Amino acid sequence: MYLDHFVVQNFRNLKKLDIDFDPNVNIFIGKNAQGKTNLLEAIYFLALTRSHRTNSDKELIGFGGEYTNLLGHVQKSQVDLTLRVLITQKGKKVWINRVEQAKLSKYVGQLNAILFSPEDLELIKGAPALRRRFMDQEFGQINAEYLYFASKYRQVLLQKNNYLKQLAKGKTKDQVFLDVLSDQLAGIAAEVIFRRFKFLRYLSHYASDAYAHISLGGEKLAIAYHPSVSTIEADDTVEEIYQKILANFERNKAIEMRKGTTTSGPHRDDIEFKLDGKNAHLYASQGQQRSIALSVKLAEIQLIHQLTDEYPLLLLDDVMSELDHTRQSALLNYIHGKTQTFITTTDLEGISWEIIKKPRVYHIQSGKISFEKEN
Amino acid sequence: MQYPLPIAHLIDAYMRLPGVGEKTATRLAFYTMDMPEKDVEDFSKALIQVKNDIHQCPICGNITEKEVCDICSNPNRDQTTIMVVEQPKDLMAFEDMGEYDGLYHVLHGVLSPMDGIGPEEINIKSLITRLQKNDDVKEVILALNSTPEGESTAMYISKLIKPAGIKVTRLAAGLSVGSDIEYANSITLKRAVQGRTAL
Repeated sequence: MYLDHFVVQNFRNLKKLDIDFDPNVNIFIGKNAQGKTNLLEAIYFLALTRSHRTNSDKELIGFGGEYTNLLGHVQKSQVDLTLRVLITQKGKKVWINRVEQAKLSKYVGQLNAILFSPEDLELIKGAPALRRRFMDQEFGQINAEYLYFASKYRQVLLQKNNYLKQLAKGKTKDQVFLDVLSDQLAGIAAEVIFRRFKFLRYLSHYASDAYAHISLGGEKLAIAYHPSVSTIEADDTVEEIYQKILANFERNKAIEMRKGTTTSGPHRDDIEFKLDGKNAHLYASQGQQRSIALSVKLAEIQLIHQLTDEYPLLLLDDVMSELDHTRQSALLNYIHGKTQTFITTTDLEGISWEIIKKPRVYHIQSGKISFEKEN
Repeated sequence: MQYPLPIAHLIDAYMRLPGVGEKTATRLAFYTMDMPEKDVEDFSKALIQVKNDIHQCPICGNITEKEVCDICSNPNRDQTTIMVVEQPKDLMAFEDMGEYDGLYHVLHGVLSPMDGIGPEEINIKSLITRLQKNDDVKEVILALNSTPEGESTAMYISKLIKPAGIKVTRLAAGLSVGSDIEYANSITLKRAVQGRTAL
């Protein structure tokens, strides 16, 4: 799929843009703080109705404006769609082909986009919570059931932890209800973990392929899931996972009641990136870690293609400057002809554009865009 | 400028109603001032009556103005089945259906530790004592919403009463009547397949 026409009204510092995009590669050039990343963010918002930079939609409404309007025309292999998002002080509304959608879930997924920015390096270096959020976001985007079970898990976990706190404080003594909550939580946890194993298996396969293309070291990348309930195996069924979590809850009951919190489950699990079997967080160099993070993003593109038969948009925010010449070529080679790509950069120097036949280059200055003739 | 105290009090009172903010409350207060005295008296009487005359049925927890509610005091209803619902409004929905002639038990809420609602806070204890006193009951239907809280409440109640040998059932979940399969989401379809029945 690709975005061939995009209208932006009053999104951060972008007052009014009306742009036609190239189906292959689009490059946004400009000095810092001119609005390059805002434009990527606007595309990302059109796809997912949320920002990767903020949780507050109101922040996106340009200074002095009442509302933000995003309108995009998307070409898919079978159909073409017009998508629209309106952000007001009161909330947001979405339209598909001029029909307002009551549910955001009907809208999200019509246009898929993967964004890669320098902060994504945290996926390897950062805390486990970041990797869990990564799974919840990315798997939720491609699988409605995952989204459903992950949000239900959060809700029931909150209920159980609240009840454990009441037990810990002696406000109640009824352990039957604790067993009920543990049972319910274990059932949902099993659905979540089962899907995480499944999607990570796919992701690991594609990421290892992408890594082989863009890194030149010849190491092998693998991604492993580490459940906090260590008896769980990768090929367990949902029922087996459920039984193991339930047994684990039962075993840790006294500890959980004393601490007032649930000590194991999907909210304590982690993923590990391994290069030639070694933990990348501990042993990989900065450059290798960057290649891993990028490989994971490229793997997501393949995963979305596998599940939906469409390639998502790829948004690369300020990434080229961080890659050396050979890695840039390898990256551009890998995505060439597959996915519509949007790249921000401060200048064209030192970037190996020869690989792309005809990139379309836009200059961005103070929220205004100008189109450079094809060279 | 501040409003005279009686109006300020009335605005305050209206603002305690759900969905009423300051502006609506002010509008209502001024409207009330212009209403005929008779209407205002009837209104205030109705407010006091609903508080004084309506109470929970000591047997099932339904709201009633009598000592025991119409359903519990009706000997023609099927005394062997009790349907457990969250709210009196749910009971009314089943009564409007007109197909169910058993008894009810109204919980007045679901278990939600997050909101400080434990087994003591809703009508679970009265259900248990009711079942202990009454050997006629053969089936308890748990008609709770399919929210996580509704489900854990249902599981909890079934754990308590199953040992007594009473049949415990819950409502079917899945496709709603008259809906198109192609528009149903995958979670709904999955529930529908799991709960399929033999023809």
